[in-house]
Amino acid sequence: MKEIVVISGKGGTGKTSITASFAFLSGKDMVAADCDVDAADMHLLMKPDFAHSEPFYSGVIAEIDKETCIHCGKCAEVCRFDAISIINGEYYADPISCEGCGYCSRICPPKAITMQEQNVGDWYRSSTKAGNTMIHARLGIGAENSGKLVAKVKNEAKAEAKQEGKELVLVDGSPGIGCPVVSSLSGADLVVLVTEPTLSGLHDIKRVYELVHKFKIPAACIINKADVNPEITEQIKDFLEQEKIEHIADFPYDENFTRSMTMGQTIVEYEDAGDLKDKLQASWLKVQELVATS
Amino acid sequence: MKIAFTAKGTAWESAVDPRFGRTDYILVFDEESGEMSSVDNRDIADTAHGAGPQTAKKLFDLNPDVLITGNGPGGNAEAVLKKAALKMYAGAGAMTVKEAYEAYKNGELKEF
Repeated sequence: MKEIVVISGKGGTGKTSITASFAFLSGKDMVAADCDVDAADMHLLMKPDFAHSEPFYSGVIAEIDKETCIHCGKCAEVCRFDAISIINGEYYADPISCEGCGYCSRICPPKAITMQEQNVGDWYRSSTKAGNTMIHARLGIGAENSGKLVAKVKNEAKAEAKQEGKELVLVDGSPGIGCPVVSSLSGADLVVLVTEPTLSGLHDIKRVYELVHKFKIPAACIINKADVNPEITEQIKDFLEQEKIEHIADFPYDENFTRSMTMGQTIVEYEDAGDLKDKLQASWLKVQELVATS
Repeated sequence: MKIAFTAKGTAWESAVDPRFGRTDYILVFDEESGEMSSVDNRDIADTAHGAGPQTAKKLFDLNPDVLITGNGPGGNAEAVLKKAALKMYAGAGAMTVKEAYEAYKNGELKEF
């Protein structure tokens, strides 16, 4: 089984639009996973049915038992996040401010503070309109993505692919270069970098590529909106050549990207997408060739 | 030499876990005694953040001479492991522990 992970470093480059198009083109041949859980949006294009859902627990926060509390105030003294306040004469740990470090729980003389595991959201196993299975998640308000959640989504996707006898898992990766991205990349056979010719686009592809390179995962790149700034597009191409990253394609700036999105369609489904459809199809073929030899 | 592996199970036939921080098990093979021991790491795999440095800490306590893994540790774990007198080899993510050991013996794994 092979695993393709699509990442961008920078947001707004068209990563999810392209991933969803690949997922649509591939149809039943693969299992899709949305690991961009902070701002999950692949479901808007893939129309999953949310058929199976399970709660997801991650991280802990302090909870003070009023009966046991002796009002000594030691917890509030040591809290570095100012999460403990007195409300109506009772000590209270604010779940939004609490970072779950556990310092208060450790020093509390009567052991009145326990660290409670948090239900931060749900994960889903769905069937999509493309006929494939998609593993995705939805976080509650204020909850953050984590390496743990990404690992969960990926492991479920791999288990599903194994069960269905599918040879491919396509992952919409997490943004940035931190814990969730490390987790997104672990075990990948091919990374597709989607970038754009802006200063931050170039900066962030370089930054995230350091991690890809360290993990020794073969990489390929699509430069989206390549005609917006030809000068930086050239700089990106130089970078790709220097690092021996396969340059899959340049896509022009095209408002059909947004038009199809507002219709809730992937670009390859959208009637008026014209050339862009062919480019995406050709790119997907290229990606499949690359992963076959990775 | 004591050789540590990140693994999905506790046997020689188990698959190497490509993940470092969230590996299910750490196996340690002592070449001198010929003994294989294992440490369950699933409690760390279950933490939301900082899995890499915590697994690195565990590895520190086990004190192996060599680590064999899949992709290799991420940046934070790497910073910790650099302080240990430990040789790290990556690229064994698609092998069994046995295959990875043989590949290491034959000099086929890349030093991380």
